[in-house]
Amino acid sequence: MLRPAPPSAQLTRRTLLASAAGAAALARVSILRADEPTIKVGFPVPLTGPYATEAQDQVRCAELAIAEFNEGGGLGGRRAELLARDDKLNPGEAATRTLELIEKDHADFIVGSLSASVQLAVNNVCKQRNVLYNSISQSDQIDALPDWSPVTFHEALTPHMTAGAVGRYAFSTFGKRVVFLSADYAYGAEMVAGFRAAGAPLGIEVLADLKHPLGTTDFSTLLPRIAALKPDVLCLSNFGRDQQIAVRQATDFGLKRTTRIVIPVMLYTARVAAGPHAYEGVVGGTSYYWGIESSVPSARAFNDRYRRAYGNKVPSDYGALGYAGVRAVLAGAKAAGSTETAKVAAALSGMRYDFYKGPETYRPCDHQAVQSLFIIGSKSKDMANAYDVFEVIATDPADEAALQSCAAEGHAS
Amino acid sequence: MARADLMAAAARHRAALAAAALLVFPLLMPFKAIAVNILVQGLFAVGFNLLYGYLGLLSFGHAALLGSGAYACGIVLVRFGWPWWAALAAGPLGGMAIAAAIGALAIRTRGIYFAMVTLALAQCLYFIAYQATGWTGGENGLRGVNIAAIRLAGLRIDLVDPLHRYYFVAVFVIAALFALSRILASPFGAVMEAVRENEARARACGYDIRTTRWLAFVLSGGFCGLAGALQAIHLGIVPVETLYYTTSGLVVMMTLLGGAGTFFGPFIGAGLFGMLEELVSLWTVHWQLVVGVVFVACVLFFPRGVWGTLLAGRGR
Repeated sequence: MLRPAPPSAQLTRRTLLASAAGAAALARVSILRADEPTIKVGFPVPLTGPYATEAQDQVRCAELAIAEFNEGGGLGGRRAELLARDDKLNPGEAATRTLELIEKDHADFIVGSLSASVQLAVNNVCKQRNVLYNSISQSDQIDALPDWSPVTFHEALTPHMTAGAVGRYAFSTFGKRVVFLSADYAYGAEMVAGFRAAGAPLGIEVLADLKHPLGTTDFSTLLPRIAALKPDVLCLSNFGRDQQIAVRQATDFGLKRTTRIVIPVMLYTARVAAGPHAYEGVVGGTSYYWGIESSVPSARAFNDRYRRAYGNKVPSDYGALGYAGVRAVLAGAKAAGSTETAKVAAALSGMRYDFYKGPETYRPCDHQAVQSLFIIGSKSKDMANAYDVFEVIATDPADEAALQSCAAEGHAS
Repeated sequence: MARADLMAAAARHRAALAAAALLVFPLLMPFKAIAVNILVQGLFAVGFNLLYGYLGLLSFGHAALLGSGAYACGIVLVRFGWPWWAALAAGPLGGMAIAAAIGALAIRTRGIYFAMVTLALAQCLYFIAYQATGWTGGENGLRGVNIAAIRLAGLRIDLVDPLHRYYFVAVFVIAALFALSRILASPFGAVMEAVRENEARARACGYDIRTTRWLAFVLSGGFCGLAGALQAIHLGIVPVETLYYTTSGLVVMMTLLGGAGTFFGPFIGAGLFGMLEELVSLWTVHWQLVVGVVFVACVLFFPRGVWGTLLAGRGR
């Protein structure tokens, strides 16, 4: 395993001069801190590109977790530090960033990533070097063999959980005649599989399973077909701009008169960007919405911390995952009393915590965070302020039954 | 010694000079993973330059050659459990096989049409890799291209160690550079330049233009395939983006930045690009703007590239 090099090995002439000057100035007014190395949390996220809005909020939230840890005295005086890097939403780039974080910066933990392929790349680098990795974006595969490893943790939801919860709610509330429309890549396929798994016991009838290429701007060839089938539910498994356009065109087409549109991952940032009209009546799932603070004390504490730090704004869903992901590994280090990978992993496995959304725990067999999930509807009227865009319709409490079974993922237990 | 003699000696021992430079490079460079990336992309650019710089064929589909090398190496390692040396050999062979197929179709065209045909065929390969999830991992990429420590003649090479990994990759890159230097110095190398300078005259001299082009394309595939295999081993993954057209664009950019048609140019270009991207992206999220401005400035003011301009200045 790679150990942090002694601080002297990392010094260059310039930093030496700068720190000497700084130390001379500080020595007069205060006692120097204990000369212990800081705990470094590497944080590769796509700061540029289509998910930049979400990623930048993840960094803001992760900084809150670091500050909170340091205010609480750190790990016996050892302070934590966040090393945010731009992975450019590219697995090769992310692997390089992670290599640099581990080899050059001697990061103790890696937290981050915002796409299935990127997190699998980062995970591969980390597990080969026995560095603990906590992923904060959706994937089923990271929990399953052969990708999973004893140092792999997954704070985010999985498509199986998300589509499962949204599907169970939608099929029992809106009806059982279903059409799937999904982006033709891994994300869409995994979501449809999740919907089908949730729908089978409810006896849903799949009228059509349609796919569209990534980056589609015109859905007018697909919408008449869907309208003619008159489904009760349209499951729309796409992301970002594709999602906005599909929802808007479906609205214009009058599809909402006969059909409810359901979106497994309804992004706070996308809804804010698209506006209330397009998303009117749309129901979806999310890992976090700031509005749960009325009933969840830890959410209020987290929101207040965010409001204080960032000009009274509220955190986004994916941003909150950055907070929880970083806070979890630091809590693990505190519980283990060490930053050693094996000890922290042992402390995290099975750990019960409530950081921002109610009780959670890392399931021992695959280190997946068992957590609650919220079914939300988009608001189009009676909005209290600019941040008030969703209403929580139902809460799926943290329950291991919502997860894929350990055996299905290839784990022994 | 006169300066002209020195230059001539440098040109004669260009591969040895490059080898020496690559061996001391990691000692100057704090970013070891970036250093390996620069090696790999430098070799990729060298393979591209063989075709563009020396034969004058602009390909926009070189991602296919890098990617097929990477996937060939990764797939035999992950799916069939071949030993590392066999997997590494599969890289250049895979690159050459795909190059032979693409080349056979593309060399019938020239100029912009050649660029378009190579681009189209490379995109076909991208979508095949995207769909063939069982082999390539599809959109999630191929994971687990991990090689444990290698024992070779009493030496233990631990590829997890950054310095070991650098020198492991450097050995193969240096071997490739010696091979390239030999090819360029051979009669075949002279024919390539003759075709670039004046195709009609080369044909009149009795050279088979089509075979020369095809062979150069296949050789280029070998170098790019090796680069792909080394990249797969370095990163431990093969992302499907390796085959995407942006990768083809990147290699054109690096080669032009460094200096097309020069021996060291592609490496200088890869190095400059890698360092620029790394340093600027640490400083601002708008790194693409800065890199773009530098590239535009280079094209406007140093059309021969950085190394090409230096050489031209010396030659005067």
